[in-house]
Amino acid sequence: MSWQTVIGLEIHVQLSTKSKLFSGGSTGFGAEPNTHVDLIDMGLPGVLPVANKEAFLKAIRFGLATNAVINQTSTFDRKNYFYPDLPKGYQITQMALPIVGEGSIKIEVDGVEKIINITRAHLEEDAGKSIHDLFEGETGVDLNRAGTPLLEIVSEPEISNAKEAVAYFKAIRQLVTFLDICDGNMAQGSMRCDVNVSIKKRDDEKLGTRAEIKNINSFKFIERAINHEVERQTRIIESGGSVVQETRLYDSVKNETRSMRSKEEANDYRYFPCPDLLPVVITDEELSLVKDNLPELPDQKEKRYIADNSLDAAEAKIIASSKTMASMFEEACLKTDDSKLVANWLVGDVSALLNKDGIDIDESRLTPSNFAKMVERISDNTISGKIAKSVLEDIWDSGSDVDEIIQDKGLVQIQDESLLEEIGQKIIDTNPNQVEAFKNGKDKLFGFFVGQVMKETQGKANPKSVNEILRKLLS
Amino acid sequence: MDKKTVANIAHLSRLKLNNENEDRITSDLENIIKFVDQLNDVNVEDIAPLTSPLEKTAKTRSDEVTARNRKDVFLDRAPKSNEDYFLVPRVVE
Amino acid sequence: MSIQYKTISELRSMLDAKKISSKEIVEETFNLIERNSDLNAFITLNKDAAIAKSIEIENSSVKSSLHGIPIAQKDLFCTKDLRTTCGSNILSNFIPPYSATVIENLENAGCISVGKTNMDEFAMGSSNETSFFGGVVNPWGDKLVPGGSSGGSASAVAAGIVPAATGTDTGGSIRQPASLCGITGLKPTYGRISRWGMIAFASSLDQAGPMARTAEDCAIMLNEMCSHDTKDTTSLSEDIPDFTKELNASIKGLKIGIVKEFDMSKLDDNVVSIFEESKKHYESLGAEFVEVSLPNISLSVPAYYVVAPAECSSNLSRFDGVKFGQRSENPINLEELYIKTRSEGFGDEVKRRILIGSYVLSAGFYDAYYKKAQQVRRLIKNDFDSAFKEVDVIMSPTTRGAAFKAGSKGSDPIQMYLEDLFTIPANLAGLPAMSIPNGMVDNKPIGLQLIGNFLDEKRILQVAHSFQKSTDWHLKTPEGNKLS
Repeated sequence: MSWQTVIGLEIHVQLSTKSKLFSGGSTGFGAEPNTHVDLIDMGLPGVLPVANKEAFLKAIRFGLATNAVINQTSTFDRKNYFYPDLPKGYQITQMALPIVGEGSIKIEVDGVEKIINITRAHLEEDAGKSIHDLFEGETGVDLNRAGTPLLEIVSEPEISNAKEAVAYFKAIRQLVTFLDICDGNMAQGSMRCDVNVSIKKRDDEKLGTRAEIKNINSFKFIERAINHEVERQTRIIESGGSVVQETRLYDSVKNETRSMRSKEEANDYRYFPCPDLLPVVITDEELSLVKDNLPELPDQKEKRYIADNSLDAAEAKIIASSKTMASMFEEACLKTDDSKLVANWLVGDVSALLNKDGIDIDESRLTPSNFAKMVERISDNTISGKIAKSVLEDIWDSGSDVDEIIQDKGLVQIQDESLLEEIGQKIIDTNPNQVEAFKNGKDKLFGFFVGQVMKETQGKANPKSVNEILRKLLS
Repeated sequence: MDKKTVANIAHLSRLKLNNENEDRITSDLENIIKFVDQLNDVNVEDIAPLTSPLEKTAKTRSDEVTARNRKDVFLDRAPKSNEDYFLVPRVVE
Repeated sequence: MSIQYKTISELRSMLDAKKISSKEIVEETFNLIERNSDLNAFITLNKDAAIAKSIEIENSSVKSSLHGIPIAQKDLFCTKDLRTTCGSNILSNFIPPYSATVIENLENAGCISVGKTNMDEFAMGSSNETSFFGGVVNPWGDKLVPGGSSGGSASAVAAGIVPAATGTDTGGSIRQPASLCGITGLKPTYGRISRWGMIAFASSLDQAGPMARTAEDCAIMLNEMCSHDTKDTTSLSEDIPDFTKELNASIKGLKIGIVKEFDMSKLDDNVVSIFEESKKHYESLGAEFVEVSLPNISLSVPAYYVVAPAECSSNLSRFDGVKFGQRSENPINLEELYIKTRSEGFGDEVKRRILIGSYVLSAGFYDAYYKKAQQVRRLIKNDFDSAFKEVDVIMSPTTRGAAFKAGSKGSDPIQMYLEDLFTIPANLAGLPAMSIPNGMVDNKPIGLQLIGNFLDEKRILQVAHSFQKSTDWHLKTPEGNKLS
């Protein structure tokens, strides 16, 4: 019996505004507990929310980038439930009329492209943090995060396996970082997702009962949680049981999902229009202003790199895939006309190092500016390409500045013609037989002399001048 | 409006009715619901709900941090807190 | 020199003529509060701060309209560092870290807040019997209720303790007690006065307003209470006129609407005859009466008792014992913390409304109740819109009868809800409305309600003032009435 998996993702993207969605509280990460809390975030008696326009404009950027319907009039509703880190006893969200309507995004799995449709993307306020394991018998509540603007992106149930789910999450992350509306930092919880999983017989029309796995914040865990959940549901159904609709939690240590009793109870959220907030309207002017200032997206960059920088398709794809990689390329190209060279470094040595460490470019110590400076030093002949490799490895480990590395290790290329001539002459004098053989037509031996000079200069000699000098001396 | 319904909405509201007031409040609720059922006598087809008497649109704010650290002011007012957090009985998830 | 029963304008001229100092006024006010403690009109007094401010004021040169005038504040407005209970046990220890915009506006105008007045718990009630701090007595008679929910403010003004007080009105909570206590009260257009710092009952209906002895004093108060507040996005940005200007404008030719559907047969006969007398009086002042039809008005109370509880059930969720207010003793787990805290913290009427609200919003009932009620609400607003195409103001009795004895309404909440029959429609439509004394029923005052068009407070104030210039109902005091 073959089962078909049906997956839908709800991705919570923390919008990178300075202040909260409904208050002047700071959204800064990592502050001392309860220090970024405004009267409004506390839900004190008598306080009222005032919507932050910037959150709407950032949401609209996402909408435009996914060819979505933009609702220029959107409204807020209250979702009522009790939880210690939900100060008002309700969350303000957009149920009836979200700022962003239906859209879609392209994903790619093993070279196969697929369009995933997006049902809606709505604004809502984040809750605070409950710390369950810090105090004996008590849960601590930190409201710093309470009220932080989230964009909840809801996909259609069109994702058919864990790989696609991860590809979709990665595509969304790539998009929001390029759009500069979220820092994409998953470790800090800037992106989290709830996964809805159900299974059904291939030919069944209606979907099976779904389980919702809450709050997953890493690619790895999304894949594992889904695979585990699919197995669990298959086991249940094949043993004649039936899946219950419930909220589950993924335990990354035990690699299993388990039921979340605490969330099960409050399942009647009694949504109703928030009487404190009138409809928010985005004018045509505001909308077109966002349109006109939409940042360049990966596909556009890819095309431009091929057209203007004469990269080949494969190179362009790799470089345009990450915002950091792309800015490394673009910054470096300002320092040299040889964009092909820049691409080679990124696709070659840099990518190799990434694969070796199995990390993402954002996790490496290499910064766009430092990389650009390295390229500059190559093109102004301060260092040779060979030396540059060791410099790159040095940056990789230490993160130090290129020029410091060159200074400290004395890697500056020898340009001094007379010195190089001296060394060349010495090599010739000490290797009469090779000179003999070369002059009798053994051209291959030229490389030997170059190698000797390089050895003598620990590779610091400018290869171009070495060639010229040796030709002269050996003629 | 039976005891079961009342128990459910009481739970949603995090309220507990005790023996003295349970029967009275249940019958009060019954009467109130009967009373508001008059609303069904009027035809409201394609009438848009009026959720605010102001048929206007919201003023919004610009993205600026205006709040200052009032941690102590807030924690002092809390029924239970330590130097950093509001405290409640341990929640098991 | 006695200041009892003095109006703001009278105290103003006494102060300006140096017949009395603001310090003396404040001290005398606290004597009056002391002498009338049996009214139970105040929950918390602000004596030290009040006297301090009165001294500070004497030495300051600025002279704003309420300079040195003692005002009582309904205990629903947050007052920085001064306990604010909303008449509830759950907030009986709550000290706000900030003040409501209304409070700041009034205090910036020089008024002296002498204390926080008693009220029905979270403004849910029409007799002040639901207050955790005990009922308020109506100075017009022993055991008589002052009405509610702004019962303490009404009682304090009626007893002549303060010339004016703040109130809030969600379904009649300013006008009904004003009527039952023989004073003048105004509920402005929804959005005229900022709701920032007003503890919410039903956010789309709540509106603050002044309670005083005269329409003129209400205008003086309103001038200071209104503002454009960026902290409340439902606060109106329309111009705020000087409400004291053109108070004396003639009402000759004014068209006053009488609502065809208001069923007078349910009313006390005296109330009806007094209403007829007031109509005659207005005719003598040159006004003409026109019958207007508000076909859906009879559905106001049922619509209100869906919308208000729905909003309240959500607004009161923040009282959970976690961040502020009371928490029940050593709960064994979170669930018990919530349930015990809220069950001990709220009184029965508040519980009833929270439960009704949860019910009408819960899965399967939303469309049948909440949505339906908001649709009916639009019909009612449309009725008013077309009525105001024909008339300038709409007039009705404020209440079905005069003040009643505490407990006399029995245990049926609906009987109490019907108290607000005439006052609720203005809240549903967001219209300004006021109540002015227009007669006595067995030595107990009753009021006349004037409903104005959107933003037309100025007009109803003129209409009220013209009545008070030519009648003396608003001058009557309960002196010697106490034992009746």
